[in-house]
Amino acid sequence: MPLLSLQNLTIALPPHADRPLAAEDVSLEVGRNQIVCIVGESGSGKSLTAHAIMGLLPRGVTAAGGKIVFDGVDLLKQSADAMRKRRGRDIAMIFQDPMAALNPVVAIGKQVTEQIRAHRAISQTEALNQAGELLGQMGLKNVGELLKAYPHQLSGGQRQRVMIAMALSLSPKLLIADEPTTALDVTTQAQILKLIKRIQAERDMSVLFITHDFGVVADMADSVAVMRYGKIVESGTTKEVLGSPAHDYTRALLAAVPKGEKYLPPSADTKALVQVSGLTKRFRRGGLFSRASVVTAVDQVSLTLCRGETLGVVGESGSGKSTLARCVIRLLDPDAGEVLLDGADIAHMKPGELRPLRRRIQMVFQDPFSSLNPRQTVGDIVTAGPRILGEDAGQARARATETLQLVGLKPECMDRFPHEFSGGQRQRIGLARALMLKPDVLIADEPVSALDVTVQAQVLKLLDDVRRQMNLAMLFITHDMRVAAEVCHRVMVMRHGKVVEEGPTRDIFARPSSDYTKALLAAIPGRQSL
Amino acid sequence: MNFLRRFFSRPTALLGFVVFAAIVVIALAAPLIFARGPFVIVGMPLLPPGAPSLPAGSDVLGRNMMVGLAYGARVSLLVGICATLCAAGMGVLLGSVAGYYGGVVDDLLMRVTEFFQIIPAFVLLMVLVAFLQPSLESAVIGIALISWPQVARVVRGEFLSLRSREFVEAARTLGMRDAAIIFTQILPNALPPIVVISSMMVGNAILAESALSFLGLGDPNLLSWGSMIEGARSAMWVAWWTTVLPGLSIMITVLALNLIGDGLNDALNPRRGR
Repeated sequence: MPLLSLQNLTIALPPHADRPLAAEDVSLEVGRNQIVCIVGESGSGKSLTAHAIMGLLPRGVTAAGGKIVFDGVDLLKQSADAMRKRRGRDIAMIFQDPMAALNPVVAIGKQVTEQIRAHRAISQTEALNQAGELLGQMGLKNVGELLKAYPHQLSGGQRQRVMIAMALSLSPKLLIADEPTTALDVTTQAQILKLIKRIQAERDMSVLFITHDFGVVADMADSVAVMRYGKIVESGTTKEVLGSPAHDYTRALLAAVPKGEKYLPPSADTKALVQVSGLTKRFRRGGLFSRASVVTAVDQVSLTLCRGETLGVVGESGSGKSTLARCVIRLLDPDAGEVLLDGADIAHMKPGELRPLRRRIQMVFQDPFSSLNPRQTVGDIVTAGPRILGEDAGQARARATETLQLVGLKPECMDRFPHEFSGGQRQRIGLARALMLKPDVLIADEPVSALDVTVQAQVLKLLDDVRRQMNLAMLFITHDMRVAAEVCHRVMVMRHGKVVEEGPTRDIFARPSSDYTKALLAAIPGRQSL
Repeated sequence: MNFLRRFFSRPTALLGFVVFAAIVVIALAAPLIFARGPFVIVGMPLLPPGAPSLPAGSDVLGRNMMVGLAYGARVSLLVGICATLCAAGMGVLLGSVAGYYGGVVDDLLMRVTEFFQIIPAFVLLMVLVAFLQPSLESAVIGIALISWPQVARVVRGEFLSLRSREFVEAARTLGMRDAAIIFTQILPNALPPIVVISSMMVGNAILAESALSFLGLGDPNLLSWGSMIEGARSAMWVAWWTTVLPGLSIMITVLALNLIGDGLNDALNPRRGR
């Protein structure tokens, strides 16, 4: 008998939602001592299915049919009180954002012991000892200090380890992990995945792992279920599903995973359009009453960018890659160094001199939800740039129609507001806004990191097509080595504000010279098997 | 429109709107109905309400209370709305500049704002009005001067959070000028809280004007609700209507404005998804 089996589970959404059912006839088994992945894009119902097992569905969302049989008991028939006792003891859960899941004003030690003592009658000292031991098993160092620390004093990886420790504190039989590594850097992600795998084996526990990333599936799962629009379209052992996918959607998802098989050769044009040298940006914190501290976000960075080529800037969070992009486009004023655009230093120009040159460098932003003004129609957003330059309204609108078509949107979009579009469509609108000014340089700051993998592939292809058509120089900021491999001619790896390594994409991937780049490459999930 | 439907679907907001609209109509129509003005003596003083010609009674000088209340509404609304417009304009301007530019500009402007906030507002208002000579204009100026810091604070806060949004950065990379970014990009997104506190401020301004008039610092050539109460103080115990009716008018108007403010707040600020 499997530890957990979902039998025709159906989850109903509230009446005004975009579809009636979050999950429909979902059947799934998690065997003892097994890791099972549910993989799907946003809106597939994978996360609500996991919450249903915990008995933690949001208000208004209900399990409308089917069974959740755990260890021979149907959890849907359990009382709220019985479920409360099971949570943590029998089934535990970890979440995507450990900062949101931890109480920010309570010390770590107290939070871990609280959970233990809620279920077991032991003293605080005893519980603290257990907590310390657990944190040690999670690979955390300086446990004594850690127990006294508050969540904000920990790194993202440390917080997720604490969450896992809390989840394991009562030795549950099943651990549900809902995208536990999505918010983490790739090297940290690799460590956490390894940790989950290790404890699963050590404790003979079962894990239900929710993810959108086939790389993670390949590394973790014994078996996998692919979800789409609330239905399981395909399930089986990881080997079967990844090796010979039967359903079209699975095939599309797998095809959309950027693999970096074909590297773009360095461009023939070697005349620098943008030449950055010695660029430095420092941020000052504090002031009048607190000791001021200075953080050097970008430290002596130099780069060249030619027409028709894409330079990838890769790094983990805090590496300074976004700050670098914002200095190049002069959203931030650099402290030192120069940014030459066709020989003119734009890093230290006065606003009045800079304004006419702004047109030549444009940017596509990361967050599709905040990069478009919610109060303006798409037409107004896209024509704002040309209108500033004095273009006639009718002509700007006509060109906007063409540009929207170029990025794959219908002309009718002009009179609609941003909230009517999906994330991928919004990124297209953002790109159209940039292209309306006929720029020479396009800076893309994590343009696909907020998108589902299939949409991501489409937007990456669009960016590359546009780059080719308009002979743009592109500076592509990303945290994802796989994405960089897909679209970049050259790659620059950044860490702590400094350039670690730079070269043609093929060389960086085949023969990385620095240890850090090697670590980044080794941490890519699913590198061996996909 | 969606917004209007949300606003009027709340019974309290609808009630506030209807009451306020009625008061506006009375204020606008006063010179048409009572062409002779509020200062004309029409009969015996202190006649109780109820007589056909004097539905609200007469005051200590034998003037028609009904006419006084209608004309008083004109003064109260005029002062309330003008003072709020001035205060909102000033608050939006200073708050947006402080919030958008930040740094030294923000520090300076916020110190000025705090200077106005730490002085007891009503004392400042009395000094200002006494200094400028009591008149409608000085009441408007005075009330605007004590009310703007509240708006400035709210606007600054909104700007601080909105200015780092990517659509604002995008506007900068397009080469848009700061003034255009402030007024066409950020301000429309900051409007909901400004509208809400403005509606509340009209009520506060009406109260402040009444208090000024009650203290004899109102415009001597105009009859307002506050000055009606002031004039009837001596008769308070023998003729309740002389003070209670203008007082009630103030209360109802301010209450209606607060209901409207609450309704706007609910209609503009619910989590409407993205």
